[in-house]
Order: sequence, then C-alpha cells, then structure tokens
Amino acid sequence: MRATPAPTAVIVDDERLMREQIAGRLKEAWPELVIVGEAGNGREAVAMVHSLEPDIVFLDINMPEMDGIKAAQALAGKAHLVFVTAYDQYAISAFDHGAIDYLLKPVEPARVALACRRLRERLQQKPTPMDDLLEELSQRFGSGGVKPREYMRWIQASVGANIRMIPTSDILFFRAEDKYTRVQTEGFEALIRKPIKELIDELDPKEFWQIHRSTVVRVDAIAQVSRNFSGKQLVHLKGSDEKLEVSRSFNHLFKQM
Amino acid sequence: MSTDQPNPGAASAARGTPPPLQPPGIKQTLRDVWRVIVELWWRFFDWLAVVSWKTLLVVYLLCLILAAMLHRPMTFFFFVIVSAIIKVVAGGKRRAELTARQATQRADDEQLERSVLEARMQALQAQIEPHFLFNTLGSIDQLIQTDPPRASKMQQSLIRYLRSAMPQMREGARPTLGQQIELCRAFLDIMAVRMEERLQTVINVPEGLKSAVFPSMMLQTLVENAIKHGLEPRATGGQITIIAEIVDGQLTVHVLDNGVGFMPKGNDGVGLANIRERLKALYGGRAELIIGVPAAGGTCATIKVPYEVAPVTA
Repeated sequence: MRATPAPTAVIVDDERLMREQIAGRLKEAWPELVIVGEAGNGREAVAMVHSLEPDIVFLDINMPEMDGIKAAQALAGKAHLVFVTAYDQYAISAFDHGAIDYLLKPVEPARVALACRRLRERLQQKPTPMDDLLEELSQRFGSGGVKPREYMRWIQASVGANIRMIPTSDILFFRAEDKYTRVQTEGFEALIRKPIKELIDELDPKEFWQIHRSTVVRVDAIAQVSRNFSGKQLVHLKGSDEKLEVSRSFNHLFKQM
Repeated sequence: MSTDQPNPGAASAARGTPPPLQPPGIKQTLRDVWRVIVELWWRFFDWLAVVSWKTLLVVYLLCLILAAMLHRPMTFFFFVIVSAIIKVVAGGKRRAELTARQATQRADDEQLERSVLEARMQALQAQIEPHFLFNTLGSIDQLIQTDPPRASKMQQSLIRYLRSAMPQMREGARPTLGQQIELCRAFLDIMAVRMEERLQTVINVPEGLKSAVFPSMMLQTLVENAIKHGLEPRATGGQITIIAEIVDGQLTVHVLDNGVGFMPKGNDGVGLANIRERLKALYGGRAELIIGVPAAGGTCATIKVPYEVAPVTA
C-alpha cells in the first residue's frame, strides 16, 4: 500500500509574526502538514494557491490589496479554507453556521488541534465551494454585494495654492461660476471643476437641495426663505450674508405647509 | 376683694402693651401705602413698556374725553408727554434686560453643551479597536517564544498606549503635545513591530514645543487613520511623518502619510468629525482641522490650536 502524499497548506496573513505563530501552532498540532508557502495579501494568496495547489489555506480576513473574503471567493472549491481573524463579530457569527472553520488570533493550541482534526476528516472529500456562505460573509463584511448607495462626504477642492478635503457638513452651498463651481463654507471659498449637474448626483439628497440650475444648498445651512418685491424666493443662510435665488422650477421645495 | 380689684399697675402694664404700638402703626400704614404706590408705579412702568402704541392711543383718547369733561387740558397733555417719554425709556430698558437674560441663558446652555459634548467625545475617543488589541496580543504571544526581550518591549508599549486610552486613567492636568507625541510613539512602535518594513516613522517635533497644551487623543486618531486608511491597504506600506511648528502664533501639528490617499466617500469620517467637534467645543472658532492632499499623494491632516504653554506641575 502506497503512502498518501503529505497534506500541504498555505498561510496568508499580512503580518509575518502572525504567519509564524500559525505555522508554529500547526507544527505542534499536525506535524505531517507541510507549509508550502506564505503570502502577505489576498492577491499573492490567489496566485500562490493556483501555482502550488495546496490542500488547505489559512486565510486572514483583514489584508491589503485583496481581503480574505474576496480571496476566498476566488479560491472557492480549490482548497479547504480556514479563516484566521482577530475580531470580526459579524464574520464569526456567519462561520458558526457554515462549513468553513475559523481560528481567532492569538491562536490557541487547543483550538488549532481541533481545527486540524476536522481538516483531516474533511481532506478525504473535495473542498465545497460554499458560494452562499461567502456571499453572506462578503455582504456582512461590507466588502462586496449590494451596498446602500454611498454619497460624497468630502469635497476635494483647491483653496489658494493647496488642495483640501472639505467635509460636506462644512459647506453652505455650491454655485456654478464660469468654468468652475464655487464651494462656499463659513470661513472660506474654494473652487472645483466638477459641474453642478454631476455634483448633484453624488451628493446626499437628504443633505443638499438644488434650488437653481446653478445653485445647490445644504439644507441645514438654510436660515430662512423670503420673497423679494418681484415674488422670487430667496434663501438666507446661517453664516453668510449671501442670498440665493430659488428658480421657479424649484419653488415647490419651500411651499408653505 | 383684693382679688376683685386688679392691681392698677399690673392692669396698666397689661393694657400698656398695645398703646406703644399706636404711633408706629400709622408710620407702618404710611409705609405700606408707599410700598403699594411704588409697586403700582413699577407695574404701570412695566405695563407702559410692554403695551402696544395702538392700545396706548386708545387710552390717550379716553383720557382726552375725561380731560374734556373735567376741563383739565393741561393735566392731559402732561400725562401724554410723560407717559410717552416713559414708554420710550422703559421699552429700551426692558428690551435690554430681556436680551441680557437671553444672552446669559444662551451662554450657560452653550457652556453646558460644550462640556457635555467634550465628555461624550472623550468617551468615544477612548474606544480601542478590538482588531488592534487582539492582533497586538497575538504578536506579543509569538514574540514571547521567539524573541522575549522584544515581546517585553512591545508589551510595555501596549500598556502605555492603553493607559492613555482609558479616560479614568488620564491625568487631571491639561495634556501637552509632548505626552501626545509619546503616546503616538507607543502606538507606532507597536505597529512597526507588526508591519515591519511596511511602516516607516519620522517624528519631527522641536523640544521647545513639547510643553505646549494639546488636546488628548486627537493626534492618535490621525495616526491611526493614516495607518488604517493610508498605509495598511497598500502591500508596500509607506511612511508616517509627524511635524509640529508654530505658524502665525498657532501650534500647528501635521500628520502626513504617503499612502493610498483620502477617499471622498470613505467612512473614516467619524474620528475626524469627532476631532472637529471637540476642537469647536474646546476652542470655539480658534482651532481647526484641515485635511490636505499633498502634491506627492497620500494625505496630510493638520490640527491648529492656539499656542499655550502648560503650567509647570511639581
């Protein structure tokens, strides 16, 4: 009877000390297991698994370039996966229902031994793809799937000779001026190249209202709305003396209750 | 008999208690009347102050009729002129009083709001990232086996860092820039062990500025952000530079990284929003946080606060 080849594994973690620790614990718990490679991020891991074809991959979740969950999706079915994580309460609750095992950092010898026992049993079978679980993980972890729409929270603008990130909560209004859009805050004004038309799509409609073809105002910065002699609505702002005209097509925004 | 005849002396003494009160009784009454007059006058004064001119005109009209019936035109004119003058003067005084009361109320509210806000922000700031803690403990665990002296050093850095992050552990004195830099150094020392060649640190703070007052936990937030959002996402890592200088009389501290750069839609705004709120609470409009984008890439976060040397404590 021919001896079965020794099982192989790859360890993926962005910190060398952590990789060493896992390797050390595995050596104690499962001396026959051969560590064929170590990777420092998800992308390296995927390439390594494709070339070395290990039986098992120990995967950290929080990593640069490509996180562990994305890497797992790319590797699904190619190897048995064990996640190694420091603290991800959502992910852990998902693992508890799934077939994928997980280890918590710092890894405890007893827990590693248990994981190794499970892996030895499972090595006889083909690794299962577990797409559903990974999809769930990826959504819970916020690294993919359907996410609520994200709006701009910072505006990159030039103030004098410098480029600054201005939090949208500091902005009173945006106004189209020639080729530029003026960004007005209480303390200063800045210019950006993005036209109002494009800007309005990226701003949170709960935070900003368009009141004119060339003006977008932050709702919370509005002090009051008045009418001038010709019946046009004017928006008065907190923190600025400038009055902004409301064009007819946006009059409904300030209709009396 | 002697019991029927009361002792005259005793009787006069018994009866004599009320009489001495009689003369002051008149004075008392006069005083009471005076008090009522004063009271009524001030009521009239207050009424004049708040009454609308329209109502006052109606009153004048009634007075005019009364004056015509009594044939006393001079009294009427006197009353009108005096009351109009009082109205103008009293109105101004009352308005000033009201404004003053509102202003005091607002100042008290703002003060309270500020201190509550500051306390809440501090509590928020004190939260330690579990990821950081468990990963660091993991590294220490590994170093204990392979390099015990280094493990001990890292553990000491962790203890220093944790101590700073516990609000009840913070000293009562005003925090100095020197202390805050030391805490950042503790954090960066830990991260340097973990990230190895992926993290370089440059701290350029003149010795003379270390005694300047600087709010707690703000620099740490900027440094943590720079690592978490700037350097950690990059496989090659990068460099963090902390620079302190005086610019136009303001203590200006920059935390610069050459990482992946700031994400306009990113969710690293919570820590920064906290800093902004705390600066507003502590200094009003005299401090600010600026997020800059250096030409070479990465992010430069700058905090400016009024320059103030911490009082020397024994």
